[in-house]
Amino acid sequence: MRHTWQRHLNKLRWLILSLVFCTLILVPFLHLYQTYLASHSYDLLLPKEKLVYDSMEWLTSPFLSDPEIQLEAVKGTVWSGTLFGLKLSDPLAVVGQASAGLNLYWPFILTAALPVIFTVIFGRFFCGWICPATLVYELNDNIGAWLRKAGLPISQRRLDRRLKYLVLGIGAVLSAATGAVLFAAIYPPAIIGREIYYAVAVGGFGGGTLFFLLTLLFDLMVSRRGFCRYLCPGGALYSLLGRYRIFRIQRNVATCNDCTKCNVVCPFDLDPLRDGFGQECNNCTACIAVCPTDALKFELKIRDAVNQGPGHLGQQYRKQQQKSEKVEVQKI
Amino acid sequence: MERRSLIKYFVVGAIVGATSLSSFARAAQQKTVSSRYLRPPGALAEDKFLANCIHCGKCGEVCPNRAINFFGLGNGLASLDTPYIVPREQACILCMKCGDACPTGALKPIAREVEDIVANVKMGHARVDKNLCLSYQGKTCGVCARACPLPDISMRVGFLETPIVMDACVGCGLCERSCIQIPAAIKVIPDMQRS
Repeated sequence: MRHTWQRHLNKLRWLILSLVFCTLILVPFLHLYQTYLASHSYDLLLPKEKLVYDSMEWLTSPFLSDPEIQLEAVKGTVWSGTLFGLKLSDPLAVVGQASAGLNLYWPFILTAALPVIFTVIFGRFFCGWICPATLVYELNDNIGAWLRKAGLPISQRRLDRRLKYLVLGIGAVLSAATGAVLFAAIYPPAIIGREIYYAVAVGGFGGGTLFFLLTLLFDLMVSRRGFCRYLCPGGALYSLLGRYRIFRIQRNVATCNDCTKCNVVCPFDLDPLRDGFGQECNNCTACIAVCPTDALKFELKIRDAVNQGPGHLGQQYRKQQQKSEKVEVQKI
Repeated sequence: MERRSLIKYFVVGAIVGATSLSSFARAAQQKTVSSRYLRPPGALAEDKFLANCIHCGKCGEVCPNRAINFFGLGNGLASLDTPYIVPREQACILCMKCGDACPTGALKPIAREVEDIVANVKMGHARVDKNLCLSYQGKTCGVCARACPLPDISMRVGFLETPIVMDACVGCGLCERSCIQIPAAIKVIPDMQRS
């Protein structure tokens, strides 16, 4: 059976990533609108503030009767936010807070329960489907591809994937030593949400922007998607949680033709062609979208299949078959 | 070869970690004394606050008065992106929304009732400079007492509207914000232990 609908998951993923990013930009503007409403000071606003007021009023008035109160429903960022009364936090925030304070604060830990459950089921889905930094990193990756086409020497170094677990460990130790949640300063999704808020509502970007730009340069100059692959502490945590995920992309060896497109397209440098997905896969589904024979699809499985050998539609497999047939013929 | 490179990473990582550990720890401990800023209402004692705050910025995002600012690197790495209030610029109106929004309890959730606010909010304590205060100079003013959200609980006025700050002052800073003297004759002295 061909699972053609799964080829469109990548488009859906881009849609969700863009929606999340737009929400992160919209929420600070809505906050400004709320403060203008609270101060009843339309006549005292500057022209650009009036523009914010008017556009947000135009945007919300068809849906909301009392925006000053109702807009409290969506607050925060993907690092920690409120969505219609439901408080959600990044598991990394919980790890950081627990190691900084060396105590467990249950109301906060519960806010990370839903993301953890989803990660146990879908693996590193946050990285591929929600993280606002992923959107920027993937666009940055495209720029890198253009530069490479233009003939610029773009380095594609390979580091050790386990480096990010070291970042996670050292980050936790440092948080405990300093008594402050240091992950917040180096975790791109947290930085992006915060910096957008600063730029819109507080005035000017903060120091996090510089760090994020450095990671973009790192991706361009040192290693393709290098920060996510090798350095991100959140990615490390999600990978660990999703090690035995229930849904995972698997290769159907009977329809695979060894075209290697999946290995080329994989932004995380994994090895779908030889069933090497592992805990790092972020379910970005780029390999599913690119597969010409629909050999890759999501399956209910707790472990990856061990290398199933060359695909049955490929040349290598045919040669092997012919050889073994010859051997059998000779035996007879 | 792979194992060797892994060991290399771990050694380099351990060295970098150890050196930065000591410097970070020092940088984090520097700024806990003699600080001249207010934390939002309901904040825990400074060290506990830093340990709990995840720098998410939600307190600023719910503040209807836009009183909450966020530190850059100027105040040390530990307090990077943590909230603070400069009352002379924009003071806290004690709406208590930030405590409800805070996911980690770094800002305690406090009901918006006079008793709860007086008992739990310890941002600081207002202090009158009698040499600057107009009322103490015989020019009846009383603006700060009128700005106080807890009149006759935190502040009362004496002869010629002279402000007298009482023990129940929570340090919201509305008096400092409203003071017509330049520099302000009444200032909130932050309490980092919030006791």
